[in-house]
Amino acid sequence: MFKKTILLKDTSFSPEDKTRDVFTRCLDYLREKQLEQDIQVVRVADSGVYGQGLVMKVLPDATLYVNLKDEDVTRVIDAAAQNKTIEGLALKKAPKQIRIVLRNCGKIDPESLEEYIATGGYVGLKKALLELTPDKVIEEMKKAGLRGRGGAGYPTWMKWKFARQVVADQKFVICNADEGDPGAYMDRSVLEGDPHSVIEGLIIAAYAVGASKGYFYIRAEYPLAVERIQKAIDQANAAGLLGKNILGSAFSLDLEIRLGAGAFVCGEETALIASIEGRRGTPRPRPPYPSVKGLWDKPTVINNVETLSNVSFILLKGSEQFASIGTEKSKGTKVFAVTGKVKNSGLVEVPMGITLREIVYDIGGGTISGKAVKAVQTGGPSGGVIPVDALDTQVDYENLQKLGSIMGSGGMIVMDEEDCMVDIAKFYLGFCVDESCGKCAPCRIGGYQMLEVLKRVANGQAKLEDMTVLRRISQAMQKASLCGLGQTAANPVLSTMKYFESEYKQHIENKKCPAGKCSALSNYAIIQEKCKRCSLCQKNCPVEAIPGSREDGFTIVQEKCIKCGRCLEVCKFKAVSKT
Amino acid sequence: MDKLTPEAIDRIFKQNRQQSANWIKVGMSTCGIAAGADEVYATLVEEIKKRNIQVTVKKCGCLGMCHAEPLVEVCVDGMPTVIYGRVNKEIAVKILDKHVNSKALLNDYIFDLETK
Ligand SMILES: Cc1cc2nc3c(=O)[nH]c(=O)nc-3n(C[C@H](O)[C@H](O)[C@H](O)COP(=O)(O)O)c2cc1C
Ligand code: SF4
Repeated sequence: MFKKTILLKDTSFSPEDKTRDVFTRCLDYLREKQLEQDIQVVRVADSGVYGQGLVMKVLPDATLYVNLKDEDVTRVIDAAAQNKTIEGLALKKAPKQIRIVLRNCGKIDPESLEEYIATGGYVGLKKALLELTPDKVIEEMKKAGLRGRGGAGYPTWMKWKFARQVVADQKFVICNADEGDPGAYMDRSVLEGDPHSVIEGLIIAAYAVGASKGYFYIRAEYPLAVERIQKAIDQANAAGLLGKNILGSAFSLDLEIRLGAGAFVCGEETALIASIEGRRGTPRPRPPYPSVKGLWDKPTVINNVETLSNVSFILLKGSEQFASIGTEKSKGTKVFAVTGKVKNSGLVEVPMGITLREIVYDIGGGTISGKAVKAVQTGGPSGGVIPVDALDTQVDYENLQKLGSIMGSGGMIVMDEEDCMVDIAKFYLGFCVDESCGKCAPCRIGGYQMLEVLKRVANGQAKLEDMTVLRRISQAMQKASLCGLGQTAANPVLSTMKYFESEYKQHIENKKCPAGKCSALSNYAIIQEKCKRCSLCQKNCPVEAIPGSREDGFTIVQEKCIKCGRCLEVCKFKAVSKT
Repeated sequence: MDKLTPEAIDRIFKQNRQQSANWIKVGMSTCGIAAGADEVYATLVEEIKKRNIQVTVKKCGCLGMCHAEPLVEVCVDGMPTVIYGRVNKEIAVKILDKHVNSKALLNDYIFDLETK
């Protein structure tokens, strides 16, 4: 057994990786000092810190040294051998992530009810059923300060209380697992990795509002999630955690899965209800809200997957522990699916109030390319972009809204200099236009018209007045659309125009795309002085836009070129230019 | 399964806490499977049988480090609990030979490590 383990990693963004060199030197030094039996040095793939030069971490004490110079390496080994820490060089690092929703994901076998119970699963439900009245459960949610994680951030206790107060012969609860935001997959991971935590949350919700029937609305594109939830429902039924007289109490609940066909609008609660009822999934005006008049006109509570997983945690650990995390108005944690140009893409769960910078740099490790971050997109098609100057903003519902974005369900896309903001706006708006159900005119027509204008901007055919047109249609859509899809569809456009106005103007006035993304505004040409006449570009051009021969040289015919960039990629002599 | 009683829930909760074990977990959510976790899992099961090693292989969900899938977490006596990432068939075999059997850490594939 080794007394100490030293983890080693060069975390600098420079392309040459010093890890192996330092590793060899460490081994030589250990041999020289005859410490090979006591200390092992290991090269790791990830040390948990990024952009901090050479990093060494000594275990079991978990002492962290960063930005080490060459001469420090042997000092660290000496200190470890003598059981000492080098004061002034060692870094204290508090963990940035807190796992509540993801507490069991990747830790337990999702197909084992017993493993879930062993982590404290269904202990909260037991407590609710046997020790707390429904009103007390709602009170706990209020004390916890839990707000909906599906996007809008509505206080969970209020929703439950409204539904509880209505007198009705039947009430329903629904878990919204439709997750349609492009790039977001937090809910899928929880459903697949810890299905019982969501089921437990839904049973607690049903008990609090007095529902006797519940549904999981899961998109059909999530077959593994559907399979695991069904298995978990079956296990819960067999164990008496669902069905008649749960755990011997007077409370009974049936759960069923309904599959969504993958329409984004079906995540909107009234459209989701229509879809479960077997009708076409289109929204209806609210009020009445579903908590008063929902599924089959009965009081219905709809909660998001992540919200429900928080519910079972709160009942297990108590509202105080939950409320001690986060900010004044936003309690607990939020799971984000961090994707795009970030180095460590994946799921992160962070306390509310953390800054975007900490998420992107300290957890995400910065950009893959090492290039500067340009903006971060949150909230998917209903959200907006947040420019790099605002990265020190603390993440909570209100702050993100002030910036013109939203918390949303948790998609977070990191963008660098190569991302064009007009192109981004066009992508998200295009998504909403595709997914609009067409029921109301502001969204159906407004969205389409805005997209046409954006296409003109991207093609260099727009006028400056078009920016006013975009703003005016946005306002109409925000005010007059029937549901959240249309009301928020303009957010990506408005926020990119707000923070990157000059980039729009470059497209319009100078017919240039600074990021080089908008293909209509870029031209490929062969630099004759560099061209070695190898003919590789000609062979690779898919539309035969490069006539010529090895004797006479080659040129690109602009009228034929589709700007696919193949020639630039294949040329070994850097003889193709893109402007 | 028999119907659970409130007491049974408490019992499972308490007893399981003290369980120490030799285990290997493979992340088998959509992200893991897409990266080839199925193959890694099958390799581990097969090679463990061949070598007659006393360690259980389990499937679990997504740890969140999707960029490093397939992820394999290893917990064996006398070693820290280690999460290896970007594991393929060859690395899976190395984990058994080097980490589990020879009690030495593998270079270049460690993404996280926890001492007991
Ligand atoms: C167009 C649109 C799509 C939505 N998609 C989802 C979704 O995929 N998942 C979700 O939980 N909520 C979605 N919502 C929000 C739901 O309408 C609802 O607010 C939420 O499920 C309530 O749960 P919560 O209070 O737990 O957040 C969507 C809303 C709109 C307007
Ligand atoms: S806003 Fe769009 S998606 Fe919503 S009801 Fe109107 S047309 Fe349908």
